[in-house]
Amino acid sequence: MGSRYLEIFCREAEEHLASLQSGLLVLERNPERSSLLHELLRNAHTLKGSARMVGLSDISAITHTMEEQLKGMERGERQVDADAIDLLLKGADAVALITSALLRGEVPELDVERFVAEYDRGELTRPAAADTREAAAEQQSETVRANVKTLDHLVNLIGEMIINKKRLEAKLLTLKEIAASLPTDQAQALTLFRRDLEEDVLYQDYLIQELHEKAMALRMLPLRSISDGFERLVRDLAQQLGKEVRLQIAGHGIEMDRVLLEGLKPMLIHLLTNAVCHGIEPPHERTAAGKPREGVVSLSARHEGRSVIVEVADDGKGMDPARIRAAALAKGVIDPREAEAMGDEEALYLTFRPGFSTAEIVTDISGRGVGMDVVKRNIERVKGNITLTSEKGSFSRVTLQLPLTLSVIEALLIRCGGEDFAVPLNYVQEILKVRPDEITVLGANEVIKVRGVTTPLYSLAAMLELPRQMKSSATLAVIVLKLADQRMACLVDAHLGSSEVVVKGLGKQFRSVRFLFGATIMGDGNPALILNVPDLFSAAANDGRRATRSGAELDEERRFKVLVVDDSITTRTMEQSILLTQGYDVVTAVSGEDALQKCADEEFDLIISDVEMPGINGFELTRNLRESERYREIPIIIVSSLSRDEDKRQALQSGAQAYIVKGAFDQGMLLETVQMLIG
Amino acid sequence: MTGKEEAYDIRSILGQMREEYWQALSEEEVQAREVLECLVFTLGGERFAFETQHACEVIRVPKLIRVPAVQTLIAGIFNLRGEITAAMDIRPMLGLAQPEIGAGGRVVVVKSEQFATGILVEAAHGVQGLCCDGFEPAMAGGAKRFVRGHFNEQDGSIILLDMEALLAAPEIVVGEG
Repeated sequence: MGSRYLEIFCREAEEHLASLQSGLLVLERNPERSSLLHELLRNAHTLKGSARMVGLSDISAITHTMEEQLKGMERGERQVDADAIDLLLKGADAVALITSALLRGEVPELDVERFVAEYDRGELTRPAAADTREAAAEQQSETVRANVKTLDHLVNLIGEMIINKKRLEAKLLTLKEIAASLPTDQAQALTLFRRDLEEDVLYQDYLIQELHEKAMALRMLPLRSISDGFERLVRDLAQQLGKEVRLQIAGHGIEMDRVLLEGLKPMLIHLLTNAVCHGIEPPHERTAAGKPREGVVSLSARHEGRSVIVEVADDGKGMDPARIRAAALAKGVIDPREAEAMGDEEALYLTFRPGFSTAEIVTDISGRGVGMDVVKRNIERVKGNITLTSEKGSFSRVTLQLPLTLSVIEALLIRCGGEDFAVPLNYVQEILKVRPDEITVLGANEVIKVRGVTTPLYSLAAMLELPRQMKSSATLAVIVLKLADQRMACLVDAHLGSSEVVVKGLGKQFRSVRFLFGATIMGDGNPALILNVPDLFSAAANDGRRATRSGAELDEERRFKVLVVDDSITTRTMEQSILLTQGYDVVTAVSGEDALQKCADEEFDLIISDVEMPGINGFELTRNLRESERYREIPIIIVSSLSRDEDKRQALQSGAQAYIVKGAFDQGMLLETVQMLIG
Repeated sequence: MTGKEEAYDIRSILGQMREEYWQALSEEEVQAREVLECLVFTLGGERFAFETQHACEVIRVPKLIRVPAVQTLIAGIFNLRGEITAAMDIRPMLGLAQPEIGAGGRVVVVKSEQFATGILVEAAHGVQGLCCDGFEPAMAGGAKRFVRGHFNEQDGSIILLDMEALLAAPEIVVGEG
């Protein structure tokens, strides 16, 4: 038999085995659904036929007995019970064992004749040691196998194309300048040529974008590709522990980067194992607590912005903060003072500390697995975030926030110490502008209030041991970072907006680099480093280089320019004077058209506009500005006497960031909004 | 011996051909032993060289992005056709002064088994065949690590770097040890 056919057969077999397995598990829960039997029978039958086609008599023998058993069940001659299903699962395992051995080019370690004989007598005691999970992993391959390296290389090349396209665009501008300097008659031909070229570049841009998307899609696989074995895992575990547990999976189809999925799998196995072993109570305890006998463990995946949220939850006994605190204390993970100061939510995160395990009895199942600290570390390695929620007696939930892919991430670009850095957006809670007087000293630390919460403030440049920039302004740019339950604020030179960045490794010369997990290549072709936020948190915890700023850093320097648009001279003047006293540069416009003209002539950092004006109104003005490259991101505040929700909705829809009602208009409100948006 | 006779003496012609062939071969060998193809450049005001087999390319100094919290040896990183590559200032490793790298400065990209890396030099002088006759090996156990010896050329001496040892040095790897 040619190996090509063997491979094709093995792929097919994997599919049938997977659906056999999932079908059997459904049947186990719903023994009355005899319609399922038909589907299972079909699987077994096809498998038998295919095995015969390629001359694999061992497999056809096993599947034959399985088929016979299923037929008996369908005719009602055989019982549909847990034992029967166990037997069928063992049959499927045996087939998987053979196919995976064949794929590796090895001789399967299975005495088929004996297996079949025992199977027929229904006395299979020794489980066939098939690694079905491995078989499921094999199933990931669809039609073509490609090395992830090759795909990375492809993405890399596309990145280069994007950079090259930017160069072309710059050349187009030069061409425009050349045309402008030529006499009209000569310039005309050149201008036509330039327009043509511009169109070509535009088309190329479109093609590159498409290509990029397709290349990224190549790396994506659905959650299903790793979750197929989980139902079995939970079932087997529950049976071993004498518990009744059902696994619910939602979001099978959510796609993630293949590398990420592979990294995620062991963590999910660990979390599911934890949920079954430590979360779900034995049936009698559950009944005593007024819960259904059967516990539910759920695994769900969904998109949230540019990330994937994967949750493992159980409706078991929940986590007990008091017990966790006590255990941490007993193990010396924390000292009594820390324990006292620690809130309940914070206490849950103690389980992430190395050397922590609350399980009172080390079971052979979860006792040997990785600890939660390892899960956390792994999640951080893939730039993810992990949160815990639990209520004693009712549930616990572990939420993993993961990037869609490891090769492209959404990042906030910042400037710090004269260099540009990218910060993965999933670690960024918010960006702020703070006035120096908002910084207070608490003990040895500088802190600021972020939404009423006291947050430690650090100078990012100092943490990274970079020279401080002498640039300063009335307000300081701050980013608030989050990691699990922790928050920290970092002083930076400037925010540069968010962007999708291609992640590149730093190469083998950088074996391990503190603070960094890679670099990206910016539009100008130069690299920018991507910060490793967990490292920043641990650095802050260790030596805490505080934001001791030099006096000059606090001094005023750059003035923000604001455009005030209103047809009423009173409002215009009022707004202007309020802003002027706070050191903003103010330009006024009397109508929407006037504003558009002024926006074309100079650049503003913020626009404040009325709604009802002669000519185009404030909403139309906003929409208009949003369409231009330059003003796509510039904050716009609508100030109006219209107070209906409908108006507010319309304002936000047109692209405005804030809506202030004139009736409630006071200085503080306007200034606060302006400062929130630009500082 | 006339040309005519020679023309007919096929044996002697063949013999002569063989002779010439061997001679040419041995000449080549002698030449290979005598001249070492090296990339020559300036570091700390002195001329240095290493064998061309280690060199990938010589480029103008690109914009270097500083890397926080790493050894000062790593001057920064740059984009080498899509690959993030480090640029090193190896002069302190060689105990040399560090005059500013000006417009003539270059990055010599070298490749080890593990990675490609850039070496900042004050100037690059291209590939030269250096005469082995004038080579003086460094004293065994000498204080100068990474130096194999020097060539005495007509216009002064050129120090031969031990690029292999340099690329294997743990101090050029970030996060080693």
